Amino acid sequence: MKATFITLLFALSLPLGLFSAEDLHADSHISTSADAEHTESVEPGEGGGVISELAGNFGISWATLVAQMVNFCIVALVLYKFAVKPIAATLDERQQKIADGLQYAEEMKVQLAAAERERAEKIKEAAVAAQGILAESREQSKEMIEQKTQEAAAQAEAIIRKASEATELERQKMLSDVRQEVARLVVATSATVLSRDLSDAEKQTFSDSAAKELSSAGN
Amino acid sequence: MKRDQKITKLAKKLVELSMDNGVVTESKVAEVLAGFQQVQHRHHLAILKAFLNYLRREVALQTAVVSTPTGLSEDAIKAIEVQFSKLYNRPVNVVTHPDTSLIAGVRVRVGDDVYDASVAGRLQRLAESVN
Repeated sequence: MKATFITLLFALSLPLGLFSAEDLHADSHISTSADAEHTESVEPGEGGGVISELAGNFGISWATLVAQMVNFCIVALVLYKFAVKPIAATLDERQQKIADGLQYAEEMKVQLAAAERERAEKIKEAAVAAQGILAESREQSKEMIEQKTQEAAAQAEAIIRKASEATELERQKMLSDVRQEVARLVVATSATVLSRDLSDAEKQTFSDSAAKELSSAGN
Repeated sequence: MKRDQKITKLAKKLVELSMDNGVVTESKVAEVLAGFQQVQHRHHLAILKAFLNYLRREVALQTAVVSTPTGLSEDAIKAIEVQFSKLYNRPVNVVTHPDTSLIAGVRVRVGDDVYDASVAGRLQRLAESVN
């Protein structure tokens, strides 16, 4: 921007400079030719004279032109200092911002792509992990079902065994009670029968033989 | 506790003094009691109770209680006396005791030992063997 302005300034001031240079050349030429007028006649139709003639036709005053050039330069400098320069700075800043924004957008695009890839990978990993967990859960549930089935079977077997043992014990107890009762009845009956049927002499004989048995048992 | 041990020890010593050739005799017991009376021991009542218990046990050990529903012949009683004296290695006196629940046969008790050769006892052992 700055270069553009300076170029424009030179482009505008160049013709004016040329005009002024021509004018000065013409003036000097006029002055030298004025000296030479005394010796030779003036040659009409020369280059510097045409410009002066044109300037005169258009009413251009060289002093005014130089002043305008100076004014133009001052205005241009003031404009450059207080208008163009801030505008240029603002434009540069904006351009920088735009460039930064574009770079940021580019980076964001790259990051978005990376994030998208990462998300896809994560989703893939999550899907794999989910499949693994699902398979593991199925395996565990299967094992648990088998274990529970085995436990239930074992418990049922234990209950049946205990029940059969209890039944057997009950049966044994009943048999024992029956035997005991029968033995008690037999003993009681035998005792009654023996005490009634044995005579005193038989009892005496039995007692003596028992005493002898005890006496001989110690030997 | 220490007092009870002393009383027990003294009572056992009195029982030993009451024996004559390993047999408790009435005369020896009378002598021991007379001597004990002279000593005037502080715990004489407790000592006499313990002495009586040990004396009863000792008398029971040298007495064979023969239970029988009918009387026994003299030969049978003599045979039992000899046999048990020999078995326990001390003189054993026989005391007969009528017991009709035995039906027939004899049952001899010496101290805590019981020797049963009665019909009732055999029936009882038969009933127990059935179980």
